[in-house]
Amino acid sequence: MKKYTNFLKNSFLPLHVILFFLFIYIPLLVVIFLSFNSNVLNMMIWDGFTFDWYKSIFGFSTRLDEDAVYLESTDQLLNALKNSLVISVTTTIISTFIGTCLALAMVRYKFKFKAFYNALVYLPMIIPDIVLGISLLIYFVTIGVKLSIYSIIIGHCTFLCSYVFIVVSSRLAGMDDELEKASNDLGANEFYTFRKITFPLIFPGILGGALLSFIISMDDLVITYFIAGVDSTTLPVFIYGIMRRGIKPEINAIASLMIIFSLVIAALGIYYRSKKS
Amino acid sequence: MNNKRKLLFLLSPFTLYISIFFLGPILILFVYSFLEPGLYGGVVWNFYHHNYGRILGWADGIIEEFNPVYFKIFLNSFRLALITVIISLIICYPTALWISRQKPKLKVFLLFLITLPFFSSLVVRLFAWMLLLKPSGLINQFLSYIGLINSPLQMLFTETAVLIGLVYILIPFMFLPLYASIEKIDNSLIHASNDLGGNKIVTFLKITLPLSFPGILGGSILVFIPSLGNFIVPDLLGGAKVMMIGNIIEQSFLTARNWPFGACLAIILMIVVVVLLSFYVKALSKYEKIY
Repeated sequence: MKKYTNFLKNSFLPLHVILFFLFIYIPLLVVIFLSFNSNVLNMMIWDGFTFDWYKSIFGFSTRLDEDAVYLESTDQLLNALKNSLVISVTTTIISTFIGTCLALAMVRYKFKFKAFYNALVYLPMIIPDIVLGISLLIYFVTIGVKLSIYSIIIGHCTFLCSYVFIVVSSRLAGMDDELEKASNDLGANEFYTFRKITFPLIFPGILGGALLSFIISMDDLVITYFIAGVDSTTLPVFIYGIMRRGIKPEINAIASLMIIFSLVIAALGIYYRSKKS
Repeated sequence: MNNKRKLLFLLSPFTLYISIFFLGPILILFVYSFLEPGLYGGVVWNFYHHNYGRILGWADGIIEEFNPVYFKIFLNSFRLALITVIISLIICYPTALWISRQKPKLKVFLLFLITLPFFSSLVVRLFAWMLLLKPSGLINQFLSYIGLINSPLQMLFTETAVLIGLVYILIPFMFLPLYASIEKIDNSLIHASNDLGGNKIVTFLKITLPLSFPGILGGSILVFIPSLGNFIVPDLLGGAKVMMIGNIIEQSFLTARNWPFGACLAIILMIVVVVLLSFYVKALSKYEKIY
């Protein structure tokens, strides 16, 4: 009996951890699994393996065409994907520049309003997304900016600068400025020092910040939802729109592709960082 | 270039950007919350405090009517956010504790495994739960397969579904701060407690739990704030049955087209969040004084 209770005591934590991992992984695995289900009538009942859903989202004709055509148009999907990519790449470039500049200023210099800036930089991240989304909507409408992918880019950068700042400044805080001082003492000009010393040293931080802002921008739903114009739907907003009208098997295939895409990017990023350090 | 000019060069992009595209919008949100809603979705530029009156109680019923329902929805959102915090704490704490005791290499790998799923899209993760919770979904299929139920349970479009969704999308925000603070605890303190005759439970209550307090606090605030203002999860998993503040804000913007009223709700939500944050900062500094 004692042995038995001891066993229970010792296995409680590992058991909990196993359940934890099942909880976070099973939902995603189910989506990927069901995306290969050939049952057109009930997507929850396994009826054999098929690639048809994948073919159908890319606009190839399949046997599904006669039975069930769920997705309104492949063009809409591809357009949303294109918008998402354009927006994410542009916001990543802008917010990485602004965030890195701010990080250099905050870590390397002393100035009067530092405490104020320190509070200000966290504010866009911490206020609820919906508040930021509607305030941007009102702002754009009031000053007469047409809602388009440009308004989405502007909106994303307001909070992504802060994410880049946090990643880059933590990298900067971890290194001393001896090398930069030495370079200056040896007669190199500011720009040369930055290009040859500072930039290579903080590059992993900048890359990490850029990757994070790309992923967050690709995935942002709430803020984009409010400031997207008619022709500027992004992938998450597009899928959200379909999901509101009901669950359709094509979403399985789109979702699986998105899961695999983001997992590969995240895994590469984490692997790269662990290798560097 | 002298130092001052360099600093100016580095600071100005952020300063300009945040002033124009963050402080500007927040200011105009505040102004809007005091404007009169126009007849067909527009606004009339008059000072008008009845938006707040509708929520907080001084609207007299002549121009705008006070409706306690908004207050109730605020309270309900608070309750749901609080339950979300408690559930994620219960799920994450033992996991963080166990992982912090593993060998360094395994630790890194497990942390990698935990963060990985949360890089996938939010809509995709919620879609997955819609599939699991549907009447014909996998959980119902499983329960009827093992003979626990005869007819499918209604799980989608309930409060439980909303709670599951909130916990699922916010779990990393609880786990990571919690893990960081548990990991930092000096092992010699735990050994000392054991040597002095404290059993596992006493050691946990007297050493581990108090020392992980900053992580508990940080994780709780990072989960509480996004769940409080969430409208995607109640919309997809709660159907029309579960209402949170975010849903009314969204509806007054996109369905009712009463922007000043929506702005007013958003301002109240923002004030609540800022107050909570200041409590958090105070509690943390108090804690740091003690330890």
